[in-house]
Amino acid sequence: MAMAMVRSGLLRTALRGGSKTSPKRGFASSAHHDDAYETAKWEKITYLGIASCTALAVYVLSKGHAHHEEPPAYPYLHIRNKEFPWGPDGLFEVKHH
Amino acid sequence: MIESQRHSYHLVDPSPWPISGSLGALATTVGGVMYMHSFQGGATLLSLGLIFILYTMFVWWRDVLRESTLEGHHTKVVQLGLRYGFILFIVSEVMFFFAFFWAFFHSSLAPTVEIGGIWPPKGIWVLDPWEIPFLNTPILLSSGAAVTWAHHAILAGKEKRAVYALVATVLLALVFTGFQGMEYYQAPSTISDSIYGSTFFLATGFHGFHVIIGTLFLIICGIRQYLGHLTKEHHVGFEAAAWYWHFVDVVRLFPFVSIYWWGGI
Repeated sequence: MAMAMVRSGLLRTALRGGSKTSPKRGFASSAHHDDAYETAKWEKITYLGIASCTALAVYVLSKGHAHHEEPPAYPYLHIRNKEFPWGPDGLFEVKHH
Repeated sequence: MIESQRHSYHLVDPSPWPISGSLGALATTVGGVMYMHSFQGGATLLSLGLIFILYTMFVWWRDVLRESTLEGHHTKVVQLGLRYGFILFIVSEVMFFFAFFWAFFHSSLAPTVEIGGIWPPKGIWVLDPWEIPFLNTPILLSSGAAVTWAHHAILAGKEKRAVYALVATVLLALVFTGFQGMEYYQAPSTISDSIYGSTFFLATGFHGFHVIIGTLFLIICGIRQYLGHLTKEHHVGFEAAAWYWHFVDVVRLFPFVSIYWWGGI
């Protein structure tokens, strides 16, 4: 697979610093224009992403989260072989004593 | 010295940082074991080791930046070597995460009788994948879009836009880490709750740790972009950060689909 990647020139292009050395590029000025166009496009995509994430965050956080009752004390839960250096409780745990 | 050089390779000067980093790693390992077994002085040695490692990272990479900017040692062929090196590093990271997924699938595809023969194990409450886990995935993907925006801005020579784009990338990364912290805080299980907790927190925790590393890497790129270190033709540090960020982004999809979603329903 690595050889196929080298032959396809994909890896070689990436190693040489992106598409600017690609044989398919047009004039120097048109390559510059492409980057300006791509900059504007990805800026819009980022804003779209931020807007949808904000909407999703409001929805998810407004729902609240479920609270569960304590499960039976199965031997594979709350495993303790020795005390933690800082004391008996785990870092993100409900206290058990 | 430079005048007599008839090749474009960078022959590095002797440096104290490899040995200082090694000593820091030794102190961290021994201190870490001592701390976890409640030996006296363990916490001190561990902190000392970590401070030593952080100091070494700072001064070593400061030297690399000086070699690149002031001394101009990063010729085209040196840049090629740096890219090869970074790609190999990311390949090793892929293998690192592969191991955690191996552990997860090994334990979840054929759950043993000791955990009730089911996955998630009997008595384990899991997070709803469609709450914070689902929210965090597009947040990280948007951050990936923002770093692509920064990349094109650098290539187009739009220096200010590139700084703004990197600020957006880093802010989204910090929001991701904040939500991940909230999720851990509210999680109904911990790393000490069965093989589920072990595999879940190992994979998602190491991913979160990589997000933090990538965030620091991007912050450095943002500062360097602001200082004018990165040009249209020469911005290997940024490229490495962007590759790393895309890697962290793609890795996120695997825990989401397999661990949170498939393994949590």
